[in-house]
Amino acid sequence: MKIIASYSIKGGVGKTAASVNLAYASAKAGNETLLIDLDPQGASSFYFRIGVSKKEKKGLFFTKKNRLLSQIKGSNYKRLDILPANLSFRNFDIMLNNMSKSKKRLKELLSSLKNEYDLIILDCPPNINLLSENIFNAADMVLVPVIPTTLSERTYEQLLTFFDNNGYKRKKIRPFFSMAQSTNKLHRQTISHMEKRHPEFMKSIISFSVEIERMGIHREPVLAYASKKSCVHSYRTLFNEIIKIVAVKK
Amino acid sequence: MKSSRIRDTRYLLPDNLTKKHFSDTLKSSFIVKQTDSSSEKISILESFDWGLYKKNLLAVRYENQSISLWDADNLFDSELAQKIDDIDASSRFWWDFPDCEAKETLTPILNLRSLSNIFKGILKTEQLNLQGDDGKILVFCQLISIYKPEQPRTPLMRQIKITPVTGYTKENDQVIALLKELGAFEASLPPLDSLLGAIGIAAQPYTVKPEIDIPAQMPARSAVSSIIAVMIKKQRLTEDGVIKDIDTEFLHHYRVAIRMVRAAIAQLKVVFPEHDVPVLKQRFGDLARKTNKLRDLDVFILDKERYMNLLPQSMRNDLTPMFDDFQSSRQAEAKRISRWIASKTYHNEMGDLQALFNNGYSAMETLWSEKPSIDLAINKIQKTYKKIYKAATEISHTTPDEAIHKIRIDCKKLRYLLYFFASQFDKKKIKVVAKHLKKLQDKLGIFNDLTVQGDFLKNYLYQLEHKPKKDIMLIASVGGLISNLYTMQIQERDKCINELAVFSNNENRQLFKETFIDSSKIQNSVINQEVKVQGKVQ
Repeated sequence: MKIIASYSIKGGVGKTAASVNLAYASAKAGNETLLIDLDPQGASSFYFRIGVSKKEKKGLFFTKKNRLLSQIKGSNYKRLDILPANLSFRNFDIMLNNMSKSKKRLKELLSSLKNEYDLIILDCPPNINLLSENIFNAADMVLVPVIPTTLSERTYEQLLTFFDNNGYKRKKIRPFFSMAQSTNKLHRQTISHMEKRHPEFMKSIISFSVEIERMGIHREPVLAYASKKSCVHSYRTLFNEIIKIVAVKK
Repeated sequence: MKSSRIRDTRYLLPDNLTKKHFSDTLKSSFIVKQTDSSSEKISILESFDWGLYKKNLLAVRYENQSISLWDADNLFDSELAQKIDDIDASSRFWWDFPDCEAKETLTPILNLRSLSNIFKGILKTEQLNLQGDDGKILVFCQLISIYKPEQPRTPLMRQIKITPVTGYTKENDQVIALLKELGAFEASLPPLDSLLGAIGIAAQPYTVKPEIDIPAQMPARSAVSSIIAVMIKKQRLTEDGVIKDIDTEFLHHYRVAIRMVRAAIAQLKVVFPEHDVPVLKQRFGDLARKTNKLRDLDVFILDKERYMNLLPQSMRNDLTPMFDDFQSSRQAEAKRISRWIASKTYHNEMGDLQALFNNGYSAMETLWSEKPSIDLAINKIQKTYKKIYKAATEISHTTPDEAIHKIRIDCKKLRYLLYFFASQFDKKKIKVVAKHLKKLQDKLGIFNDLTVQGDFLKNYLYQLEHKPKKDIMLIASVGGLISNLYTMQIQERDKCINELAVFSNNENRQLFKETFIDSSKIQNSVINQEVKVQGKVQ
């Protein structure tokens, strides 16, 4: 079982779109896949038509495996399960602060699912806090969507510095360009500049696309309703790149 | 091979259940959405030895000339199939397929075997998703029906596969309850057996190994007769494949089976009257010798690429005329063998030979014929091992090649004896002995093959002498090949000598001593000793 976190310090960069479509591509490729919606806004859950859980009392997520399993719901696609967002996820930081080994709780909890899933994808909320550190510990790959702008470049480098300063393995981080516009000169320049500076960038580039924007209307992964569009197909090539790196074993 | 967590359950639908009643019942509790439906003419593909079945795989060829390969647990799940597209009707071997995942899976399984159709029919699959009012899928269902082409209305099998959706156990149970109400019953056999059973095919995994259970106390002659009868049966099972020239493995196994029969006659001859032995040897020997040439050609042609690679790039194409010659000789030879095996003369001869052994070989008793088979087994295995051991200890770098070939033949004899009598000895120990022996045989085999191949090429050169037009480059490349094979042969010879030293070391000697014993006698003697000791105390 491998764990991939779709993560960025910034919001609105295409994290959820990546999580949802990569999870879908993974299931279609024959992997038992679990998408965990860690973002309290619950966008991933929304795309798969699964309601945000309200019943669960806060704090239980990190303690009880059975409790966790009972929250998992199958999607409308074979081999793709979702752990929907829980509103209490926003209190994680407070809760984790009071726990021992608090930076490795998520890793321990997810490892208990290793017989159930080949791949777990974490759709993460946009910030750096104790939950993020749990994510960095748990994930085999931290996949970072980067919009090719100067500001995004700075944010990305902040993340690298954070990894270095806190003893996380930098090579876990794999950025990819997201919402890129080929007609935008600044985007093109930033891409070529950043690819040189950061060879760890994935080859696949996800372009800005109206089809992807429409996911909210379809409430399906864009791969499911517009799989032939080239901008959409990039998610599949991105997924293929990912499995080559993390070697998902079925 | 892709495989998902196995959570599916399979139910067989009763013959009298109409499609309407079936779907009405599901509709009473769910919204039934059909997402995918296909009905196609298919053939099920398998190799003669049931290689795919043994690996729990199923291959289906569609009319549009694509092949889908499934793990038995995911049958007919289109997302989990390994597919081969764009093949033509004559593609039967793995090397006929374009590079793809399915080819990678098939290569080690098929090896030299060809795929053949074992069933032709119509496969109908319908994906029926059971949903709630809000469009959420609660249970995945797939209806799988198989028909004979001539009876497209009466299915041979109708199976419903239920894949539960995580978090919707109640709904899953509800579907199962509905199915039971309709008279469906859960498929109890593994998926492949259940499918094959429904279409009326019994899997018959073939292996040329005897795999027989000879009771230790069975009279030696009866034991040897059953061994020979089993091997003749195995030989005869390959005949059809040789006649149709389906793949080269048929002839190979045909010959291996005869070789085992001949080994049994020669090695265990003490159970037969002395004057019968040469006659039997002659009759089986004739069968084997008839096929020598075809097998030699097969081996050469199969190894074409390896031979080509032994020459400098610039000379490789010069060998083409030789392989063309081999190919045409092979065609002629295969035809000759095919006619011979299909002939009445052959059929009668085989019938006679089979009759000799089928119910125990009847003739005058001999010194050994009525003794327990285990005594014969121990005697022969120990003797053969000692022979190899003695030869191995005497071997040196000056020993002539013939002596090494002789050891190879003795090793083969020993291997066959182990096959015949394996059931009488400790399984674990036999496995270790067989492993050591195989390692040695592999080395000796390579050495022998190089000698045979060198001789074969020399003969080919002699034949070229009679050709009116001499192709200098062909002659040069064959010469190059012969000298390369010779260099390899010298290297392999050293490896054989080293391996023989390992095989005949003290540890192995001890292993042979311990393995080939009559354990019942030891137990008896232990009991006897205990009785004696107790007697003394009293």
